[in-house]
Amino acid sequence: MLIELHDINKTYNNGQPLHVLKGINLGIERGEFVSIMGASGSGKSTLLNILGILDNYDTGEYLLDGKLIKDLTEKQSADYRNRMIGFIFQSFNLIGFKTAVENVELPLYYQGVPRRERRAKAMEYLDKLGLTQWATHFPNEMSGGQKQRVAIARALITHPQIILADEPTGALDSKTSVEVMQLLKKLNQEEGITIIVVTHEGGVANETDKIIHIKDGIIGNIEENKAHQAWGGSIIK
Amino acid sequence: MRELFHEITSTLRNNKLRTALTGFAVSWGIFLLICLLGAGNGLMNSFMGNMEDFISQSISVEGWYTSVPYDGYQSHRRIQLDEKDVAYTAGPEWKEVIKNVSRTTAGRSDTLSMNGRTVNGYLLGVTPDYQEINKVKMSVGRFLNPDDEKESRKVMVLALAQAKELNPKDPESVLGQWVSAGNVAFKVVGIYYTDERDWRRNVCIPYATYKGIYDASDKVESISFEVTGLKTLQDHNSFEEDYGAAIKRRHHIAPHDERGIWIMNGYRENMQMNKAQSILSIAMWILGLLTLVSGIVGVSNIMLITVKERTHEFGIRKAIGAKPRNILSLIIAESIGITAVFGYIGMLLGMVACEIMDKTIGQHAVDIGFQQIKMLENPTVGVDVAIEATLVLIIAGTLAGAIPAWKAARVKPIEALRAE
Repeated sequence: MLIELHDINKTYNNGQPLHVLKGINLGIERGEFVSIMGASGSGKSTLLNILGILDNYDTGEYLLDGKLIKDLTEKQSADYRNRMIGFIFQSFNLIGFKTAVENVELPLYYQGVPRRERRAKAMEYLDKLGLTQWATHFPNEMSGGQKQRVAIARALITHPQIILADEPTGALDSKTSVEVMQLLKKLNQEEGITIIVVTHEGGVANETDKIIHIKDGIIGNIEENKAHQAWGGSIIK
Repeated sequence: MRELFHEITSTLRNNKLRTALTGFAVSWGIFLLICLLGAGNGLMNSFMGNMEDFISQSISVEGWYTSVPYDGYQSHRRIQLDEKDVAYTAGPEWKEVIKNVSRTTAGRSDTLSMNGRTVNGYLLGVTPDYQEINKVKMSVGRFLNPDDEKESRKVMVLALAQAKELNPKDPESVLGQWVSAGNVAFKVVGIYYTDERDWRRNVCIPYATYKGIYDASDKVESISFEVTGLKTLQDHNSFEEDYGAAIKRRHHIAPHDERGIWIMNGYRENMQMNKAQSILSIAMWILGLLTLVSGIVGVSNIMLITVKERTHEFGIRKAIGAKPRNILSLIIAESIGITAVFGYIGMLLGMVACEIMDKTIGQHAVDIGFQQIKMLENPTVGVDVAIEATLVLIIAGTLAGAIPAWKAARVKPIEALRAE
């Protein structure tokens, strides 16, 4: 098991206490391509943030690659995020004043990789994603699909075990959405990277091999989707 | 370290407006500080320079008019010191404290003339140590010497201003000439330096010569001497009281009569001057520090906004593996970089401005009637002070940036990512 969640509870205390996750139990194997589906407010993003160690949980146990992720210092969790996890966000979250290649190499900077080496590696990943000629462009000079591919390159550069994608196609048109999902599928199949996608779109979820439904902070049914026949076929939007 | 440097330079290059604004606040603060300190120094130099030339390290005593009747004498009596007072002052009673006693005659106004040109002069019979006590700087020639005194020579030392009147084209050629004062001719052995700030116009002739020609009595106008072993203001006050009381007794002046004799204590005035100087200099520093504080507030303000504005970016950095330490060092190094570079620029500009002040207002003298004074004299700041001030600003700017940076470093990544 790469990811094991045992009875995870999370409550937000912004004025009115809000019990977001009400005892989540979940296991995800290495190499799985999973989607977490739910309506807004269902707790799916909170769950993803906990998986990504961007947020902490109140009770329960989260084991990542056999290690208990609890009460870590900021330094430790930064290290885990850097080495284990790659993030893909709905709004891309590229740094606006850095070029594509500078954005991609940033995770390696925090690993202390020398400048020349990380530049070469970043170029390699941009090349892989067909973005070589965009390397020195700033994010605001690129289309949404290109930005998301830069973000994917940035997520991949540290060879993470898991890629966590939060509504990765939320800001993209349907054509690019298909491309991005195909790309994630390819990464899963060819590189064996575990990918977890959070979405509220059935079409996106249908591209994944397993669909985890979450409702009101509880895991509903878990759908095996090897045939990609859920939601009446694999048409996004 | 080099990596951090690259990271910062790229950030600064790509955020030109922010960099320029922060930099301007820093440069402006330092610039103002240097200008202020420079102008303050100039003011102080001119104030001190105007006074310092005339305050001698000596005490002078002169007779005055009594203000109360005493011991059978009427009020408003003129007190006249004489040779016996000189002998008493130099005598055994004060030999522990007083040394180098000298005296001057009452003096008389006369017309100096040479080759048909004339100028007014105030003839004064003085002893050779008059030069030392009154800080007379020679322009050419020499001051009176003991031989002049011993032989009652008919020699004089006059002011450069007077020499200019006697020979406008070549004042120094008056040296060695014979100049007549009234109907007596004196040989000029020296011309002392006077500038536009100096109102002294005494014509010094030997004491004995004066006595021989104009005044055969043993009257002495003023007695001057140096003192030793008096350190504090209190020492001087009590010395003046004791010595003054003794002189008053000798001339039957009421002990509490403030006006019978007049004692001018150069030492005490120097002390008061030093005190004034240190107060002025403290005031300058307080003003300077306040300016510096405003610079620091400017820097910290911008750092605060910068950090707030970049919270989302820090969230991204954290999500991809930046540790709190990375964020902290990023902000602090940036703030040091900006304050150092722009602080240096401001410092240079401030020093240039000081030089300009020196070349313009600094050369300008104002006529206040009896003399001319410079408003600012050498209004510049030492390089050491400038560098110190810049360092203080850099350190303060860093500390100012450190607080928001520390906050930013500690915020949870998910919260930072939500910030816009």
